[in-house]
Amino acid sequence: MQRIPLFGLGIATVMVLSLEPVVLAEGQFLTNGLLPSVPVPVDNPQTDAKIRLGKQLYFDTRLSADNTISCATCHIPKTGWANNSPTDTGIKGQVGGRNSGSIINSAYMRVQFWDGRAASLEEQALGPIHNPIEMGETLENVISKLNAIPGYLEQFRTVFGTDVTTEGIGKAIASFERTIIAGPSPYDLYLQGQKDALSPAALRGLRIFNGKGHCSPCHSGPSFSDQSYHNLGVGMDKANPDLGREAVSKDPKDRGRFKTPTLRNTAQTPPYLHDGSEASLRDVVELYNRGGVPNPSLDALVFPLHLTESEKADLVVFMEALTGPVPEVAVPDLPKNAGENGGGQ
Amino acid sequence: MKTFRAIAALVLVGVLIWLASPVGAVPIFARKYGFNCSMCHSNYPRLNDFGQRYRQNGYQLPGREGDEKTVLESPPPIAARTSLGFNVQQAAGKEQDLNQFQLNGLDLLSAGLVYRNIGYMVVYLPPIPAFRGVTDQAGALEMASVVFSNVASPWLNVRVGRFEPALVAFSAKRQLTASPYEAYELAFPSGSPLSETQEGIEVTGHGGGFEFAFGWLNGSATNRVDDIPSDVYLRIAKVFGQGEGQTAGQRIGLFGHFGQARPDPTLSDKVRQPLFRGGLDASLNLGDFNLSLQFLLGQDDRDLWGSRDNILSYGGFAELSFLPATDWVVLARYDGLKLPGELDVGSINRMTAAVRYYIWDNLALHLEYSYRHQNSDLPIDQEALTYHFATVRLDAAF
Repeated sequence: MQRIPLFGLGIATVMVLSLEPVVLAEGQFLTNGLLPSVPVPVDNPQTDAKIRLGKQLYFDTRLSADNTISCATCHIPKTGWANNSPTDTGIKGQVGGRNSGSIINSAYMRVQFWDGRAASLEEQALGPIHNPIEMGETLENVISKLNAIPGYLEQFRTVFGTDVTTEGIGKAIASFERTIIAGPSPYDLYLQGQKDALSPAALRGLRIFNGKGHCSPCHSGPSFSDQSYHNLGVGMDKANPDLGREAVSKDPKDRGRFKTPTLRNTAQTPPYLHDGSEASLRDVVELYNRGGVPNPSLDALVFPLHLTESEKADLVVFMEALTGPVPEVAVPDLPKNAGENGGGQ
Repeated sequence: MKTFRAIAALVLVGVLIWLASPVGAVPIFARKYGFNCSMCHSNYPRLNDFGQRYRQNGYQLPGREGDEKTVLESPPPIAARTSLGFNVQQAAGKEQDLNQFQLNGLDLLSAGLVYRNIGYMVVYLPPIPAFRGVTDQAGALEMASVVFSNVASPWLNVRVGRFEPALVAFSAKRQLTASPYEAYELAFPSGSPLSETQEGIEVTGHGGGFEFAFGWLNGSATNRVDDIPSDVYLRIAKVFGQGEGQTAGQRIGLFGHFGQARPDPTLSDKVRQPLFRGGLDASLNLGDFNLSLQFLLGQDDRDLWGSRDNILSYGGFAELSFLPATDWVVLARYDGLKLPGELDVGSINRMTAAVRYYIWDNLALHLEYSYRHQNSDLPIDQEALTYHFATVRLDAAF
């Protein structure tokens, strides 16, 4: 006997009407929205003079022990404010163990460094200066060197009302770094209603990002980072693995965990991961697709994904669509040493 | 009339497709996070490894406990699932006994997190009378449970209420076929099969590839209200490799269920009689293939079946799935069940093949064929015990 689905049609209609209030607007995603305005600490407001001072300090190699390394040596503006090398070389040719994170949008991160050991950009800015294998200088020496440079002394007095101080150096560099913010990416334009801002491949990649790829549980929020720590197993198969967050927290649960990096403008900053061991975004996708590197502390959210070749390609296209324009920054003129020419790069 | 029927069917299909549109509403958890269904489902409704861990963690992302939004901070925690399509069922040698366009049931769901490590799941089946094109559905609260997660560690999670017991290795509620797992349907007359939800308390734990579940249940539907819950079960499983054995890793498990049930609740002089179910299971993954194996052994007291002897039964199923992508899946399954021939159930052999194409994550076009053959020594209509079943339907969650 054949029957007409009239009652079913009625039920379906009622559902449509009842569920309408919770229907998401097209392009509205709850996890990865637009970036808010740049967060600025109350005790370090942005001023033009301070940003200008911070910019000079950022490019000044005199902050290092042998006057060869500046912040810009590893966080290079032309390479996405990061470095194309897996890890960086500091003073006296010493090679570090971790990849340089990009400065772009670092203002949005609640904690800094791969292991989150710096609670603010101000604190982060000072870290490399006294790191023995990076800039290798003592903070006392830096203060003394900068106080001897009339151009810096004058600016510190104007900006902070004091001679050069450690706190002032951190605040000035952090203020400058808060200006290195990427503009709207194609993804942002898409969220704002420009439907053609994302290619069909990028749209497919977005669906994988929020689904089968299992990316968004960790790469969540406007910065595409949960600002938390995860163990992908990278480097854990070495004899003396980098313990990551555990070295800071002293908690064995944090073994091999590293902070989730932002994915905004990530296409500009190869290589990837804390040790720069993956040369391309495609390689990173392959790593996740394999389920990371097995180890006892492997994150519960990491396991083989079974992505197809086209799904991997789409995922990369989507991540490339997270790239927005970054302010062009020219190397500034640096204050000269008393009685001689200045030493910037 | 035919034109009208065709138009009505097309309108209904259109409404369902629009309703399940990927830019529209998506089920509860996906809507909460802005995820697609494929975050938790290899092929909806089957869970992938992520979904399994999410469920194990009390509807919280592992590692994000405390940062999760509660139901009060999330979009309304309401979802529905239904399917509609054309069903054909034909007994061997008989006239067709089913050949119609149908709405196949309706589930209303609510779930979410009340507080850190406290979640809930409610599934309500509203009563629907048999009507034109609608399969009747008895109203029921199919699930209503609260889960307390990570009470001391991931090794102690407690679920209270009405739920699908974790002794069922392959969820009957999230299976991909319309044809049931025959082994999970096994029950004495008037008894409760394993596929049904149960009231009780369940303690689960997991870590390092091991997992266990221990439950204390109200037991069979034939037990009386004042009967003290007496059914207990224990399941342990081990996963080798990464994952939970859903699409990654290799999982093996075993369970034992000891229960008591009344043959008939209306017979006051009848006392509860023992029953047992035990089983071995494995979920093996190789590339895009999954092989799900379940072996089941049962022994019921003779009073439960009204038989001369205790009833020993055994059976199980083997299901091979090919899941090359989130947008389609192909599977084939053999179900077998063997009971003593003097029972009208007899033995059952069933072969099922299905293809699901996902128009979107939450809308599947489902094609299925199943052949079921039953043998019994009793003088009953043998031909009526064998039938073909086929369905073409849209399966949607929204």
